[in-house]
Amino acid sequence: VSERADAPPRYWRSLAELERSPEFLESLQREFPEGAADPPNGITRRTMLQLMGASLSLAGLAACRRPVEAIVPYVNAPEEIVPGVPLKYATTMPFGTSALGLVVESHEGRPTKIEGNELHPSSLGAASSWAQATIYELYDPDRSRELAHRGAEKPPSWKDFVDYWKKLHAELSAAGGEGLAIVLEPVTSPTAARLVARLEQRFPKALVAAYAPLGDENLHAGIRDAAGGAYAAVHHFDKARVILSLDSDFLLDNPDAVRHARGFSDGRRGESAKDGMNRLYVAESTLTITGIAADHRLRVRAGDVGPLALALARALGLGPAGSGGGDFEAKWVGAVARDLKANAGKSLIVAGAHQPPAVHAAVAALNAALGNSGTTVTYVEEKETLRSNTADLQRLVAGLEAGKVKTLVVLGGNPAYDAPADLGFSDAMAKAAHRVRLGLHADETSARCEWHLPRAHFLESWGDARSLGGPLSVVQPLIEPLFGGRSTIEILALLESGEEKPGYELVRETWKAILPAADFEKRWNRVLHDGLLAGSELPAASPEIAPSAVGGLASLGAAGNGGEKGLEVVFRPSAAVYDGRFANNAWLEEAPEPVSKLTWDNAALLSQKTAGALGLSTGDVARLDLAGRALEVAVMVLPGNADDSVTLALGYGRTAAGGVGNGRGFDAYRVRSAAAAGLARGARLERTGKTYPLVSTHDHWSSEGRVIVQEATLAEYAKNPRRAQEHEEELPPQKSPWAERPYAERPQWGMTIDLNSCIGCNACVVACQSENNIPSVGKDQCSRGREMHWIRVDRYFSGPGEDPQTIVFQPVPCQQCENAPCEQVCPVAATVHDAQGLNVMVYNRCIGTRYCSNNCPYKVRRFNFYNFTKDTPEILKMAQNPDVTVRARGVMEKCSYCVQRINRGRIDAKLAGRELADGDVRTACQQTCPTQAIQFGDIRDPKSRVTASKASDRNYRLLPELNTQPRTTYLMRLRNPNPEIGET
Amino acid sequence: MPGRLIFVLLASAVALVGLEGCMRGCTSSRPPIHINPSMFKQPKYRAYAASAFFYDGAAMRQPVPHTIARGHLPGDPVFETGKKADGSPVANSPLAADEALIARGHERFGIYCQPCHDERGEGKGILFQRAKVPTANLLEKRIRDLPDGAIFDTITNGKGLMPAYRYPIRPHDRWAIIAYVRSLEKAEVAREASQ
Repeated sequence: VSERADAPPRYWRSLAELERSPEFLESLQREFPEGAADPPNGITRRTMLQLMGASLSLAGLAACRRPVEAIVPYVNAPEEIVPGVPLKYATTMPFGTSALGLVVESHEGRPTKIEGNELHPSSLGAASSWAQATIYELYDPDRSRELAHRGAEKPPSWKDFVDYWKKLHAELSAAGGEGLAIVLEPVTSPTAARLVARLEQRFPKALVAAYAPLGDENLHAGIRDAAGGAYAAVHHFDKARVILSLDSDFLLDNPDAVRHARGFSDGRRGESAKDGMNRLYVAESTLTITGIAADHRLRVRAGDVGPLALALARALGLGPAGSGGGDFEAKWVGAVARDLKANAGKSLIVAGAHQPPAVHAAVAALNAALGNSGTTVTYVEEKETLRSNTADLQRLVAGLEAGKVKTLVVLGGNPAYDAPADLGFSDAMAKAAHRVRLGLHADETSARCEWHLPRAHFLESWGDARSLGGPLSVVQPLIEPLFGGRSTIEILALLESGEEKPGYELVRETWKAILPAADFEKRWNRVLHDGLLAGSELPAASPEIAPSAVGGLASLGAAGNGGEKGLEVVFRPSAAVYDGRFANNAWLEEAPEPVSKLTWDNAALLSQKTAGALGLSTGDVARLDLAGRALEVAVMVLPGNADDSVTLALGYGRTAAGGVGNGRGFDAYRVRSAAAAGLARGARLERTGKTYPLVSTHDHWSSEGRVIVQEATLAEYAKNPRRAQEHEEELPPQKSPWAERPYAERPQWGMTIDLNSCIGCNACVVACQSENNIPSVGKDQCSRGREMHWIRVDRYFSGPGEDPQTIVFQPVPCQQCENAPCEQVCPVAATVHDAQGLNVMVYNRCIGTRYCSNNCPYKVRRFNFYNFTKDTPEILKMAQNPDVTVRARGVMEKCSYCVQRINRGRIDAKLAGRELADGDVRTACQQTCPTQAIQFGDIRDPKSRVTASKASDRNYRLLPELNTQPRTTYLMRLRNPNPEIGET
Repeated sequence: MPGRLIFVLLASAVALVGLEGCMRGCTSSRPPIHINPSMFKQPKYRAYAASAFFYDGAAMRQPVPHTIARGHLPGDPVFETGKKADGSPVANSPLAADEALIARGHERFGIYCQPCHDERGEGKGILFQRAKVPTANLLEKRIRDLPDGAIFDTITNGKGLMPAYRYPIRPHDRWAIIAYVRSLEKAEVAREASQ
């Protein structure tokens, strides 16, 4: 079934593959990329062997004594902890003005693994890659460990700071707060809101500004214009039959993405037109995972989205009279408008946060006109919320410049790095006499402050939060602050009163007003246990939204962004580091960016045509000039990017993030201004002649053009439901040369991965890394194809390289073959089968021949070329799962179906005196998947979900011609195109 | 000369063993030889591990005060602490002493209590036999007159040389043990009365 090597493939993963470049064809011949077997510093194999021989004889046997290990029991054992048996605690991850409900696994009082809270509507049991990686953030060796005071010889204590502040506090109280300015991160927290209100009461003349670079300011300005008040829009994708995304990556790049992804995929589980599968239209400037999930994707510049919305409004009979708008594919716009109208009340339009307020106002008006307000989109009046407001920050900088602000306090955030470049915040900071900073890291902002205070991580501190429109929840600490840090609310209380007060008391004080006094303790305990206060969702408001709000679109000008007007630049959150806050997080840096598959870097993304016109290709460094500011940035050609549009991910190019994040990628904030924070025009891009090594994993672990993805439209599937199995049914009958095992005993483990639900968000990749102690190997090792992730998420393009039409994500872990090719070639029986059908690795036996990897047709085995975990800092040992062996150099590893979880489930069932039930064992990837694309269980249990899933017509095996009998199977991707537009 | 060669080889082998210690069967203050230490010591914290990160050297941490783990929602304070609201011990166990509870108590008693308090609860267990460590006789009147809640508190928090048993013995099992001890005491009272 392998296609001819020189023929253009139907499915391709990179432009190099599409073009059959010589480098790509050569890479296919190698199990690992060129040089993968060589050590990095040029030592040859021979010298290596000599060195090894010498060191072996020198070391002799004396060094091989068993290490002496101490047993350190509890002095005062807590009642709920049984050593070796993990506990779970509900907590909440505050994220911008939303929050994600979590359940955190704790081994003997140390948090080790993040999971979603199944009771919490913000997560429904799932978690994002960012949430998963907060474990690394907590144990980041580069976190700030002590207070710092500029000029002090030794680190000051908290008492020193409290004394310092008390003196200032007296002065400030007398002056009514004159000269005090506080910069906060946007937050939704009753306690923080209460403390800020008290602070403003005590210091009426103080300036309090909330700022975040990704603060959704345009979105809220648009809703305010349309609805006439401070409302937040809550989207209910599960209720929408037709969804139109105007340059919005709602499935990935915002704090509510987990809830969105679940709603979207729940509306897509049907297998026929009758079942009601939703339809997604996406018009976007760069390829996003939302665009990949789309049934119809239109490539437009971000600047043309406004005119497109105008054309759509006109097609819906709403647009203002007059010219303007653009000459878009009239067929597309007309068909989308008709589809939206036909599904009035069950349709939904969303716009990207970087789009101007006029687009958001128009979207609100269009949703209202379609009758979607109150059904697929509801509005809530915001409570206890501090929103990002760049205008406040601007006023604060003006105050600093004028010398009016004497005392500047920056709580969290990192404005010296991420404030708009034209504000000059970091230079203005120096003008304040007293500068205090609370931060997780001693970063760019701390470097410009007089005081740096270590901040407690959310897993170390008490707090409270509200997810968007959702219930109130309490942030429960999992461990005492590792470095004695304080949380934002504790510092706010100190700033306000001049006295220290523990976070627990502050939160309880707030909640005394929330919960009825009569039953307070009991209800409070229930909130902590469940992770939320049931029934505390904000009531839906019904603001009046006039259709005239679409009028603002006319002011955006006509479509088109021709050569003389320059390029547009779109600033987007990074899927890895978000706004830069996760820059020092090795798990996130290494997880390949879902679309470009870039690791450890960002790049300016361009279309093939634009790059060709500018004489640029992937890996070239170009100079980007935008409104008088310049940035040298590496370029990457991305299929599906709009022409004359440059996409820049924020959050890279940090200088004081820590050892992992410093100097990674390019700092897009340097060319980002307050007025054009999302979308800027008039940029120029010029070749510099320099090149930069970008590492993208998209060509690693290639299946060389073999058909391993299956997709169909609903119509094709209805016509031929056996489509997914056709390939397998055409094969001649196969027989194994060995006696095949019946695998009759229960349980027999198996998995299905639904390509129809998978959105490629990477949550499983990071969850697997956290659960299975997978090392991060760094950019250099990634460039040699040595990344260690047990799940790789492939994405297959089809169609032209400029504008690929269908794109499919496919996560590939070990397929757990019953006739495993790896087992046949292992000379030491290090990989063998167990009675439950697992293909297990015996690490101690492995001698590192790599024969198994060579013989694996799915390319899912990972080899430890180095002792990646040898120098694990003491603090990072806490991030490791105690139930999983940490592998050493020379050992092969791969997906184990989370065998430690299987064993835990069996032990728990046995202790409870019952049989294993479906759902007792959930793998880490399955548990965290926001779209529930992964099912896992006993395939001999006729009632298990995995059996039901495998019974689907869409179920198929990868490479059935090899007769490997994989236990992991896939469900074919279905698309629901609009017949009016035709199949894409 | 082959004989000399053999002698040299043997002597060096003996010397090697002398220098390095033998693998098994010899007593030595040094830890045993381990041929392949790869992956033996793991950069992770198993239960009871030592940690150089924390000042007390223990990787096992106390849960943060006031936090509540899943499945550990505080329930009936009488059942979980054996105390009334005013802090005084409850007189009677909240669980009815049926056969099943006493059987469970018998089993748990055998595991956790018998080594010191002995099979019959007379405090003549192995600790007393070997080291004359004073151990309470559970059948004497002083203990018989204690309210159930006070015994519960002793199991939970320990007393004198007796350590706390709160984590190996769940509250339900503590009440079961108390039910079993009470049944032993009843038998003792009957025996005394019959004498």
